[in-house]
Amino acid sequence: MADPAVMAGGFSAIVGRSGCGKATSSSAENYQLARRRTLQVVVSSLLTECGFESAEKATVESLTEMIQSYISEVGRCAKAYCEHTARITPTLSDAVVTLNEMGFNVDTLPGYAKRSQRMVITAPPVTNAPVIPKALIAGQKRTHPSHIPSHFPEFPDPHTYIKTPTFREPVSDYQVVREKAASQRRDVERALTRFMAKTGETQSLFKDDVTAFPCERVECWRPSSIPYLSALLPSELELQTLEETDSSEQDDQTDSENTPVNNLNDDPGADKENSVLPAGGVVPLVKVSEENMIDNPYLRPVKKPKVRRKK
Amino acid sequence: MHEIKMNRKKDKGFESPRKSVIGFVELTIFPTVVNLNRIKLNSKQCRIYRVRVNDLEAPFIYNDPTLEVCHHESKQRNLNYFSSAYTAAVSAVDPDAGHGELVIKVPSELWKQGDEMNVLKVYIEFSLDQPKGGLHFVVPDVEGSMAERGAHVFSFGYQNSTRFWFPCVDSYSELCTWKLEFTVDASMVAVSCGDLVETVYTHDMRKKTFHYVLPIPTAASNISLSVGPFEILVDPYMHEVTHFCLPQLLPLLKHSMSYLHEIFEFYEEILTCRYPYSCFKTVFVDEAYVQVSSYASMSIFSTNLLHSAMIIDQTPLTRQCLAQALAQQFFGCFISRMSWADEWVLKGISGYIYGLYLKKTFGVNQYRHWIKEELDKMVEYELKMGGVLLHPTFGGGKDKDNPTPHLHFSIKHPHTLSWKYYKMFQCKAHLVMRLIENRISMEFMLQVFNKLLSLASTASSQKYQSHMWSQMLVSTHSFLKSISNVSGKDIGPLIKQWVDQSAVVKFFGSFAFNRKRNVLELEIRQDYTSSGTQKYVGPIKVTVQELDGSFNHTLQIEENSLKHDIPCHSKSRRNKKKKIPLMNGEEVDMDLSAMDADSPLLWIRIDPDMSILRKVEFEQADFMWQYQLRYERDVVAQEESILALEKFPTPASRLALTDILEQDQCFYKVRQGACFCLAKIANSMMSTWTGPPAMKSLFTRMFCCKSCPNIVKTNNFISFQSYFLQKTMPVAMAQLRDIQNLCPKDVLNFILDLIKYNDNRKNKFSDNYYRAELIDALTNSLTPAISISNEVRTVDNLNGDVRLILEEITRSLNMEKLLPSYRNTITVSCLRAIRMLQKNGHIPSDPSLFKSYAEYGHFVDVRVAALEAVVDYTRVDRSSVELQWLLNMVQNDPAHYIRHKILSMLGKNPPFTKAAESPLCNEALVDQLWKLMNSGTSHDWRLRCDAVNLYYTLFGLTRPSCLPLPELGLVLNLKEKKAVLNPTIKPEQGPDTTQMTGNTMGVHIPVMGFTSSEDEIDMESPHDSQAFIHHHLNILERPSTPGQHPAKHPAVIILVHNWAVLSLPVTPLPSFSKESTSSSKHSGDHHHHHHHHEHKKKKKKKHKHKHKHKHESKDKERDSHTFSNSPASGRSVRSPSMSD
Repeated sequence: MADPAVMAGGFSAIVGRSGCGKATSSSAENYQLARRRTLQVVVSSLLTECGFESAEKATVESLTEMIQSYISEVGRCAKAYCEHTARITPTLSDAVVTLNEMGFNVDTLPGYAKRSQRMVITAPPVTNAPVIPKALIAGQKRTHPSHIPSHFPEFPDPHTYIKTPTFREPVSDYQVVREKAASQRRDVERALTRFMAKTGETQSLFKDDVTAFPCERVECWRPSSIPYLSALLPSELELQTLEETDSSEQDDQTDSENTPVNNLNDDPGADKENSVLPAGGVVPLVKVSEENMIDNPYLRPVKKPKVRRKK
Repeated sequence: MHEIKMNRKKDKGFESPRKSVIGFVELTIFPTVVNLNRIKLNSKQCRIYRVRVNDLEAPFIYNDPTLEVCHHESKQRNLNYFSSAYTAAVSAVDPDAGHGELVIKVPSELWKQGDEMNVLKVYIEFSLDQPKGGLHFVVPDVEGSMAERGAHVFSFGYQNSTRFWFPCVDSYSELCTWKLEFTVDASMVAVSCGDLVETVYTHDMRKKTFHYVLPIPTAASNISLSVGPFEILVDPYMHEVTHFCLPQLLPLLKHSMSYLHEIFEFYEEILTCRYPYSCFKTVFVDEAYVQVSSYASMSIFSTNLLHSAMIIDQTPLTRQCLAQALAQQFFGCFISRMSWADEWVLKGISGYIYGLYLKKTFGVNQYRHWIKEELDKMVEYELKMGGVLLHPTFGGGKDKDNPTPHLHFSIKHPHTLSWKYYKMFQCKAHLVMRLIENRISMEFMLQVFNKLLSLASTASSQKYQSHMWSQMLVSTHSFLKSISNVSGKDIGPLIKQWVDQSAVVKFFGSFAFNRKRNVLELEIRQDYTSSGTQKYVGPIKVTVQELDGSFNHTLQIEENSLKHDIPCHSKSRRNKKKKIPLMNGEEVDMDLSAMDADSPLLWIRIDPDMSILRKVEFEQADFMWQYQLRYERDVVAQEESILALEKFPTPASRLALTDILEQDQCFYKVRQGACFCLAKIANSMMSTWTGPPAMKSLFTRMFCCKSCPNIVKTNNFISFQSYFLQKTMPVAMAQLRDIQNLCPKDVLNFILDLIKYNDNRKNKFSDNYYRAELIDALTNSLTPAISISNEVRTVDNLNGDVRLILEEITRSLNMEKLLPSYRNTITVSCLRAIRMLQKNGHIPSDPSLFKSYAEYGHFVDVRVAALEAVVDYTRVDRSSVELQWLLNMVQNDPAHYIRHKILSMLGKNPPFTKAAESPLCNEALVDQLWKLMNSGTSHDWRLRCDAVNLYYTLFGLTRPSCLPLPELGLVLNLKEKKAVLNPTIKPEQGPDTTQMTGNTMGVHIPVMGFTSSEDEIDMESPHDSQAFIHHHLNILERPSTPGQHPAKHPAVIILVHNWAVLSLPVTPLPSFSKESTSSSKHSGDHHHHHHHHEHKKKKKKKHKHKHKHKHESKDKERDSHTFSNSPASGRSVRSPSMSD
């Protein structure tokens, strides 16, 4: 029943249909139709055997479909089992295991085969097995190296493993690099500003054509922030580049800076220990250490009101 | 002593802040005359609830004649009339003359004790609601609590303006000690003058009271306050110095202030004197009135001075501001002035020592450059506007001479001065100090300063009774006396020439070389007839560079001698190869082929040390200028020769300039100047110019990559000299023009490439100024569009180059919104560029973009740039809509600086002038401006003077021409008035003659044609307000007694402020301390009824208390302005206390 060859043929036909020409597909179709018809005959005879006198065509069709699926599944599984045990052709035991796995009691099979009322079906008409279209072959397949036995599958097509290096000199010309960096930045900026102009409200410098040279309407300019902050504080970008560029110089700077600054910065721990931070006062803003050294009235804690008020 | 208490109310959270202040002031007064029955104080816009004198309710009158200068609905609209009326109004409340807006009648019970000369304690409760001047509240319109929003308030003003925020004797010459208390929200810090003694929570723990004591006698005008959620930085080098900035700016503050201690050290060293106060505070605030203002022991700066370590250009500017502020701490705050006429001494000294600091820090070149710049600026102003008089003397009241008849304002009071004039005044003051230094040597000069300071500090530690405090005031007389004592030299002529007299000298020089006699015949002529000039007689230095060396000659300029013969030292013999010695001893090789074979003269300089306040126009041959440029080492000489070479567009000049550009020994500002000169020369030589556009190859060599010369190197601004040159060169190059008068295509592409390839990633410094200047360069390259009739400008007919420029500009402008640069320099440049595009007809002229950038909420520099464009638009398009919009902003903008700036920009670039007809000039505008200066700007002296200036520019001194002709009678009247009018006459019968009639006299103005100048009271005179005062003084039944207010400074009301009342342990008057503690308890809360200070009767002092209360909601609607505006409300004699 399980006919792996059929199964395999069926699969490759499907694959082939997508890739091959019309001629092959029609011969494959014929082959398939013949098999299918046999299956229909089988279904019909089984129905008759069971005592049905007639059946709707659609029902027969469905049953045919079911039986085809069943057989296909048996074939697929059997092939899987055989490959699992490193063989390439399924054996009987593969089929038995498969049937068992699918919940079919194999022992009942001989009895069923010998039942009295079975109908004999004519063999399917001989049609030419479809030609398996050749896969594209690019170059010579590699032969097995000596340590691989010859029964092992052949190497796949060379295009799957051959690499053809394409190599171009990296651009190291200074001028080009600068050119590229500049135009890249410009493109990014242009895209960004255009995007902002498209999404935000804009003011145009021309009355006739509102889209040309849009200037974003100024109202959308961070209304939530305080103007002097954005104008005075360095942007994160700038800070970042600063860090990148002069990490080396930073060392020098700290060296040259006078000691008091360092003292201030170095001793945050002492600060916490010594100073009493006033609750809710302003003072905590300042991280000044060494209370004993710095006596600044603005750093002193805020006094509690005197209680003498009641009188 | 003053005590001030203030509660500043700022509501947190959802409600809008109330912006109000409630306070009280207590003054202790020592009468110096027997019958003191009226006390006059200064107070503006404060609402006064009650006044008590020694615990007795005292009646008072509050009248401010400057609120509305001219009362009559007069149709005259004549600036002469206004100016004199305004001067009279200011005089009428001049504290130096013993006047004031607030007149308090001493209760009669206290008169009896006249003989005993008891001390009077005046106690005043007042409030300020939404003040328009004096205190500025900055409340950003963002989410969050007041502290999170960075809301703050600070005091400000032009000259003595303390009266705007508490009643006082608002004079620089009335010294007293102070005790100040401020109650503010717990999230805020109150910074004020003197030492912070303690900070105490109020009982509800939601507020804090800051207690300050200022033991050094200080004038009320030098008191200030700022309150805000400041971040605090104790100076790491000097722990007594504290810096305050707004939230989030602490890193910038740290960097910007890291330098201050060096300035301290410098001043203390040259003055050999410690900083006089025990502490110093710097506060950085937003929307500052001026960049720097100094008060006793603290200075208030604009927050925009702060910068990070990445910013180059701002760094020297900020340091200069700090140095100015500190110089004024010594001279201006600690040492104050005797009278307005002595102002020049203080401004001069502080400016002079600031100059010494500049010389030390930034080098002699920078110093000399600065002196030249200041001199040029001042000379230009004086020649244009007429003289600046440093020491005006207003002879004895009746003197009819106006010292400055050429000006449209009076210089009798600081508050009537034009702002520009005042700046030039400061400029001249320090230049004159430098002249004095030239005369007596720097050593003596510093000795004089030291003497002034040490006398003052001795005096400051004395008690009031020792009568020593006047030593802390400087007058012209005392200053000159110290000079003559210390140096033994007579500088009388110098003072007479430059201080007692206005105007500058204008020289024209030319020469001829007499070969036979080997003599240089120099001719120096003067122009002393045109406005702003005076005649100079005296020595003048001439330096002649000859082949054999440099020689100084001192010539005597006399009445009629024009020609001077100067013998030359060297014969013309230039075959001998010999090095030529320069003035500084250096010997250099020169290529002498250019010079005249017969003459040994290389170049000649007149007054090289700038020891005369002059303008010199000297003629010498082009090669002499070129030698001077190349070989003279003085930057001033180099700059002069650069200026002169503009007139000599020859290849030789080109070479000389190029050489200077390349010479990195040369001062960078000279090289910057050379760039622009070279551009001008190149344009004049257009037809014969060979080679690439000027400076292009130079720039390429200096700043572009070796391998690909069209690409600029990645930025590295580590050498500031080349940074400045790199910034300037493209701007200058963009001024080049080709034969079609267009910017050459090469140059434009070159600049566009600079922008394109600009790469700052590896730079330690920000490139924002550089990028801004590149945009400026694009602006400079613009030329007028070829006009195709009046066709509307569209995108399609945009010229290709302009399209590129425009794309660059819009992209930069839009990028800046996403990545703002420091101080938004790029936006500023872009706005200028867009205006230039509009002006040249490339894009449609339209102010709406600028108007949106000018709105409140943008950074101030951006606003100013946008406003400048609107002002320009207003002039070019004669748009009355925009003019109205601007004037509207002048009246309503929250930032005082912007208001001032609009008016001064309108004055500089006026929509029309008195000379020309304009559709804008109409009656409504006259009325509007008149109203603005008459009553709309009473809260800000500076703004009012700006408005007067604008009015003058637009309409001139007489009746604006657009007004309908007045009736005949009036015309006559007008004329007559004009004839009579003389600002000096008016007010000042006052001081001398008038103790009795002081008020009435000051009030009325003999401007009216029919008034004889004497005592008659003319109730119809414009000064109703004065008449009003007079009227009400009569209500007070008893006229003030003669002698009560000695007119001059030792004014009758001597305010000695001591902390006796609320004194703290530190007080040097230990006898008081007990009583004072008792009172100090009350001071914290709002119940002033408890304030019975019986103590310290014996001490003759003045106390001030200020007490701020919660603002009562009922007052909310009435804003203080309307209140004080109506005289009726001020009339509340015996007004009941409105406080709880």
